[in-house]
Amino acid sequence: MSVIDILTRVDAICKKYDKYDVTQKDSNVSGDDAFARLYAAVESDIEAALQKAETAASEKSRASVVAINAEIRRTKARLLEEVPKLQRLAVKKVKGLSTEELTARNDLVLALPDRIQAIPDGSAAAPKSSGGGWGTSAVRTEIKFDSDGRFDNEYFQQTEESSQFRQEYEMRRMKQDQGLDVIAEGLDTLKNMAQDMNEEVDRQVPLMDEIDTKVDKATADLKNTNVRLKDTVNQLRSSRNFCIDIILLCIILGIAAYLYNVLRK
Amino acid sequence: MTRWNADWKNATSLYEQAAIAYRLARKHDKAKEAFEKASKGQEMLSSPWDAAKHMESAAALAKEVGNWNEVSDFYRRASELYIQCGRAQPASDALAKGARALEDALPDEAIQLYTDACAVLEDDGKEQMAFDLYRAATSVYVKLEKYTDAATFLLRWALAADKCNATHSQCKAYLSAIIVYLYAHDFQQAEKCYNDCCQVEAFLNSDQNRAATRLLSAYTDGDVEEIKRAAQSSIISSLDHTIIKLARKLPTGDVTAFKRGATEQQEDPLDEDDLT
Repeated sequence: MSVIDILTRVDAICKKYDKYDVTQKDSNVSGDDAFARLYAAVESDIEAALQKAETAASEKSRASVVAINAEIRRTKARLLEEVPKLQRLAVKKVKGLSTEELTARNDLVLALPDRIQAIPDGSAAAPKSSGGGWGTSAVRTEIKFDSDGRFDNEYFQQTEESSQFRQEYEMRRMKQDQGLDVIAEGLDTLKNMAQDMNEEVDRQVPLMDEIDTKVDKATADLKNTNVRLKDTVNQLRSSRNFCIDIILLCIILGIAAYLYNVLRK
Repeated sequence: MTRWNADWKNATSLYEQAAIAYRLARKHDKAKEAFEKASKGQEMLSSPWDAAKHMESAAALAKEVGNWNEVSDFYRRASELYIQCGRAQPASDALAKGARALEDALPDEAIQLYTDACAVLEDDGKEQMAFDLYRAATSVYVKLEKYTDAATFLLRWALAADKCNATHSQCKAYLSAIIVYLYAHDFQQAEKCYNDCCQVEAFLNSDQNRAATRLLSAYTDGDVEEIKRAAQSSIISSLDHTIIKLARKLPTGDVTAFKRGATEQQEDPLDEDDLT
């Protein structure tokens, strides 16, 4: 067997039995070192959280996904609280530790918050444009919010434009009310006049009936008279001298008028 | 020579001519006498219509003279003659003319004549024609400041309007009566009147009812501004001219006494020992 083969075989065996080594290693190393203990705990929590995130990504049931995400978020919050403690421990000098390792610890602690935040918990999708949606409802992208979810104090305050608009609306409504009042008064007057006219016309109906009967009687009388007159005139017309009489009458009148004119001069 | 027949026909025509001549000559008292005689003649000739006409002319001349008693007598006689003819309208017209003539001189007599005129028309069933008479009579009452009489007359007007189904006039009459009572500063009467009027369905559903409620509630609140505003409303402005003038002058006197609290103090405190 070559050296390379031995090395690879040793590596494989070490990896296989690594999991049995963890507790031993921990108990060996972290005896006096609070920092190392705490750091190891945080590391393991981060690993667990990452695993849970992976299961959440592959879960089919939405309820369980939501539950897992919630747990992850709780863990993240807790871990973020631990970070300041770690920072304080990091600067403490522990015996048997070199200066390089001390600075290395500092860097590790600084890197921790980013790692914790990076754990996917279902709300990490940062919307880049106005069409950004909530991460949990990844299926429903057609429902869009125009804002990016920041409903803080400023959001609900009236801008100048909106208060101006409201004022204008109030002014217009008042003007409309006034106009409607004027119209209402006019209509009242019209209604009164119409009702009075109604009564007046009702009053005149019996009078009209009376006039009707009287006029009917008068027309009947007139017709009667006309017929009789016609009869009389017809009687007269039977004599031929009637036309001659009229002509002679006109001549006499003409002569009389001529004489009158002559005598007047 | 002594047994002349009474030749009324010629006499009447001669009297008529004389009367017309006197009238042209502006000798009113002589003309009046002549008309009287002519009218008597027509009566004798049993033509009450002409008699009534002459009586009216005589009455007009009496007005020129200024003899008020004669004016009223003549017009009444004329109206009687018209009724004899069976024509109620001219009869009431005659009485109305008499009343108008006497409005300034003998207002009480004028009122009497107006009432009689209304009665004549109502007997004949022609209440519609009486509205003008009622209106004139109320204005005379208001001029005389007899407000209770005026209000009563208005209610009679409303009754006549009801008989001929003139709801608009009826409601206007009711509202006018309430206003007259308020003007006379008699709030209890006004309220009673209002309650009575509300029994009438036609009034209950009308605009006038709303105006009346508004006015009365303004009175109970004792709010002078509200009373003024209610009195300026368009419904009240559609009433008769005299009533509008009264309404504009509301409120008369102290309104606060009418507030609800004042009326409640008048109740006697309950006596515990009184076992009835």
